[in-house]
Amino acid sequence: MKMATGKEAAAEKLLKKLQAAGADDAIITTIEDSTSQIKFANSKIATTQSWLTAKMNVFIASKKRLVATTIKDFSEQAINDAASRIMKFAAATPPTEEYGGIAEGPFNYTEINDTYDQKIAQLNEKAVDMAEAGINAAMKAGAKRCAGVLETSATSYRIITTNNVEANDKATKLYFSIRAFIDKYASGHNVTNSRVLSKFTPEETAEQAAETAKQATNPSPGKAGVYDVLFEPLPFSNLLAQVGEAASIFNVESQLSCLAGKLGQNVGSENVTITDDATMPNGFNSSKFDAEGVKTQKNTIIENGTLKTYLHNTSTAKRHNTKTTANAGIISPMPFNIVFKNGKLNKEEMISKIKKGLIVTNVWYTRFQNSATGDFSTIPRDGIFSVENGRITGAVKELRISENLLKILKNAAEAGSKSEQVFGWEVELPVTTPPVLVKEVRLTKSVA
Amino acid sequence: MDYDLAEFAVSHAIKLGADYADARLENTTANDFILKNGIPQMSSFDKVNGLGVRVQSGGCFGFASTNEPEKEKIKDMVEKAMKMTKAACRIAQHSQMSEAPAENAQYEVKQKTKLDDLSPKEKLNVLFEIEKSIASTKVDAPGRFFSLSDFCTEKYFTNSEGTKITSKIPRVDFWHFITINNNGKTAQRYWQYGDSGGFEKITARNFPEVLKNEVIKMDENMKKGVKPPKGKIDVVVGPQISAIMVHESVGHPYEADRILGREAAQAGETFITQEMLNTKIGSNAVNIYDDPTIEGSFGYYLYDDDGVKATRRHLIKNGMINEFLHNRYTAAEMGTKSNAAARATGFDREAIVRMANTYVGKGDHTEEELIEGVKEGVFIRNFTEWNIDDKRLNAKYTGAESYTIKNGRLGEPVITPIIEISTPALWSAVDATAKNMEYHSGTCGKAEPMQAIPVWFGGPSMRIRNIRLGNEK
Repeated sequence: MKMATGKEAAAEKLLKKLQAAGADDAIITTIEDSTSQIKFANSKIATTQSWLTAKMNVFIASKKRLVATTIKDFSEQAINDAASRIMKFAAATPPTEEYGGIAEGPFNYTEINDTYDQKIAQLNEKAVDMAEAGINAAMKAGAKRCAGVLETSATSYRIITTNNVEANDKATKLYFSIRAFIDKYASGHNVTNSRVLSKFTPEETAEQAAETAKQATNPSPGKAGVYDVLFEPLPFSNLLAQVGEAASIFNVESQLSCLAGKLGQNVGSENVTITDDATMPNGFNSSKFDAEGVKTQKNTIIENGTLKTYLHNTSTAKRHNTKTTANAGIISPMPFNIVFKNGKLNKEEMISKIKKGLIVTNVWYTRFQNSATGDFSTIPRDGIFSVENGRITGAVKELRISENLLKILKNAAEAGSKSEQVFGWEVELPVTTPPVLVKEVRLTKSVA
Repeated sequence: MDYDLAEFAVSHAIKLGADYADARLENTTANDFILKNGIPQMSSFDKVNGLGVRVQSGGCFGFASTNEPEKEKIKDMVEKAMKMTKAACRIAQHSQMSEAPAENAQYEVKQKTKLDDLSPKEKLNVLFEIEKSIASTKVDAPGRFFSLSDFCTEKYFTNSEGTKITSKIPRVDFWHFITINNNGKTAQRYWQYGDSGGFEKITARNFPEVLKNEVIKMDENMKKGVKPPKGKIDVVVGPQISAIMVHESVGHPYEADRILGREAAQAGETFITQEMLNTKIGSNAVNIYDDPTIEGSFGYYLYDDDGVKATRRHLIKNGMINEFLHNRYTAAEMGTKSNAAARATGFDREAIVRMANTYVGKGDHTEEELIEGVKEGVFIRNFTEWNIDDKRLNAKYTGAESYTIKNGRLGEPVITPIIEISTPALWSAVDATAKNMEYHSGTCGKAEPMQAIPVWFGGPSMRIRNIRLGNEK
C-alpha cells in the first residue's frame, strides 16, 4: 500500500506547526490499514468483517509535559485545530520530570525479509476460499465441527519526528486460528501466522487441531498433583509472552515484573535463552523501526538462564544509564517478537523422558496473584494428555496450573528442536517457541 | 454527526441487494491520565468517529467499518461488505433475526460536572490526592499505579426496518494497581471503578479514602495474617466476590452465542445447553439478574446495538435457569425474542451478545447475620487472582482481605484463602444472601478482535456452606 501524498503532507505540516508552537519533541506516525476477517463457527462462516483505518498517532513533549493523541482528519483545518488543541492540553498538564527525550536520527534502516507480500494485499474475497480450505481440512481429518477466524491485513506506516527521523514501512499479515471439536469435551486448537502467502499453512494447521481433538476424546477427570509438563508451543507462548512483558523496564519500575532487581542473576535453567527480535524475517511484529523511529535490533533478554537486559526506549535508557534497546513504546517499552531458543530433541524424545507427566496443548485465562513474585495460575484447555513412563496413556480434563513464572523458567528441562510462531487471541505478543518440558509443575482442580 | 451518512449506508446496502442492513455512526471523545509512583505519565486525548455497517444478504451476515465516514468511502465500504458477504454465503450459516418492533428514541445521560469543563490538571489532581492519602498511611507501597479515564460516546443507530435511536453516554473509569512490601515480601491488589455520568461520579467515589483503607488492610493482612483453615468449611464472601462470581459463572455461560458455539474458538463455549432452561442450577436463595437500565451504571444503555429496547433479564430465578442473554440472531436461532443484549465496543465492531450489569439479587439478612450463622469459617471481602475455564464450569478465586470466623465472629486476618469450585457446586451451596448490595466495575473481554466493554457486576454478601477451601502456599 502506498501512502497518499496528501496524508504525508498533512503529517509534515502538523509536525512543523507543533514545533512552531513550542513542542520540544514530537513524533507523528501515520498509519493506513485495511483488514478483513472471516469468522467461522460450527464449520460455517458466521460473518465477514472488514475495516478501513487511516490515522496519525501523535506524541509531543513540551517542557516535559507529555501528550498523545490520535488524529484521523487530514484536512488543513483539522491540522490547524489539532496543533492548537495539543499544545493547549499540554500546557494544562503537569510535567513528567523523569522524561529523557526521544532518539536523535537519522538512522540507516535495513529491509527485513518476508514482511510484505503484494499477494496478501490483493486477496480480497479469495480469503473466503482459504478459510473454506482450512475448515474442510479439519473436517476431513476427523473433526465434527470447527470454529475460528482467518484474518488478512495490509498496513503502511510513516514516522516523522522533530529529531531527524523520517521512515516508511509496510506490512502484510495473515492469521488463521482454528479450534476443532469432536464433542464439547474433546477439542484441539492451533494457529498459523505469516507475513507472506507462501509460508501460510491453514490446512496443515487445521489438520493438527483435528488430530489433537481426536486424541482428546473421552477425557478422564485429572488428578491434582505435581507433574512434569510438556508444553506445546501454543501454551508455552502464553507464558513466554508474560516473560516478554516482564522484561519491559516500565513494568520493572511499576513493581509489575518478576524480573525486577535480577539483572545479571540466574532466572532460569541453562536451557532458557530468550530473545526479542524485531528483525526476524516473517516475524509477525517485525518492524524496521520502533515507536521513536530507532532502527530495531535483536536483544537477548535471558541467555542460558541469566537475565541480560531489560527493554528500553531512549528516555528510560537515559534514566537507567544505558542505551535504548529500540523497544519504544514512548512510555512503556515493549517487545516485538519473543523467541525461545530451540533444543535438540524431537517431541517423541521429549515424551520419552517423562515418568509421570502431562502434555498441555493450550492454556487460557492466565492471571497473576502477584506479578512481582510471578505467582500465577492458568487453565489448560483443549487436549490434555497424561504420560506415564514415556508413553501417552490417555486424555484428562479439568485441571489448573497454579505456579510461579520464575519456577517454570528454572525447571525448563528440555526444549524441542522445532519452533512455531504463535500469535492469537490469548497471545497478543508474537512468540516463537519449540515445545518445552518443565519439571515439577503443580496442577490443582476444582471441587465438583 | 451527519445522520444522513448512516442512512446512506443502509439504503445503499439495500440497493445492492441486502435483505437487511443497519448502521452505527459514532463519535467518541476520550481523555486518559496515568500516575505511576507519583509521576504523571503521558496524558492523552482522542476524538474517534466512524461508521460501521452490518448487512444481511441471502441469510448471511457481513460487517464493515471506516474511520473516514465520507460518502464515497462509505459507498466503497458497503460494496466491499456486500461482495465479501456474497462470496462467503455459499459456505456461511444462513441465519435469521428475531422480530423486533421499529423503535424511534433519543436519550442522554446527564452530567452534573461536565467532563469537558475540567482541565487535564484538575483531573490528574484526583490521582495526586490518592498518592498523598496513601503516603499518609506510612505503609511501604513501592508500586502505585493509577489510571483515570473519561469517554463520551454519541451514537446514531438506524436500520432498514425503520428503527432510529440516538444516544449520548459519558462514562468515567478509574483503576489502580498497588504493590505493598513487608520485609521483602509483597502483596498486590488491582481494582476498577466505573460509572456512567459526569465527573461528579469520580468525586463521589472518594478514592483517596477508599485507597487509604485498601492499603491499610493489605498491610494488616500481610503482617498479621494466618494460614486459612483447611478442608470443608463455611465461607462468607463480600459483595466484590459475589460480583466476580456472578459475572464469570452465570453471566458468561448464559450468553446465547456461546451456547450456540459462535464464540467457540476464542472466548469459548459454555457448560449450559438450551435444554437446561427451567432446570435447577442453584439453591432457592439464588436469584440473578442482568439489567442495562440501572441509572449511573457502567454498562448502561436503553437500546442495544440491534436497536432493541433494553429490559432487566432474570437469569436465575430461585435457583432455576430462567433466561439466557440474547441478541436478535441468537433469539431467532432459539425461537424466542431478543432481550436486548447486543453490544459493540465501537462503530468498528460487530454487535454480539454481552452482559451489561449482572448481579446477585439481595436477600433479607445483614452481612453480620450471615457471619453470625457460621461456627467456624472464613470471611473473604475481596480478591486478587481469579480465573475460570472456557466452559465456565471450574473457577478459582484467591482471597485478599480475609478473616477467620469463629463462633459467629470475625477473628484474625487470613492470607490468600483459595476457592476452587465448580459452578453448580458454588450456586447450590449458597444458603443465604444479605441486603448490602454493591455494584463493581469491569471491562469485560470477548470476541476476536477483542471487544473490551464496560460492565457492572454486583451483589450482596453471600454465605456459602461447606465448601473446600484450598490454601496452596
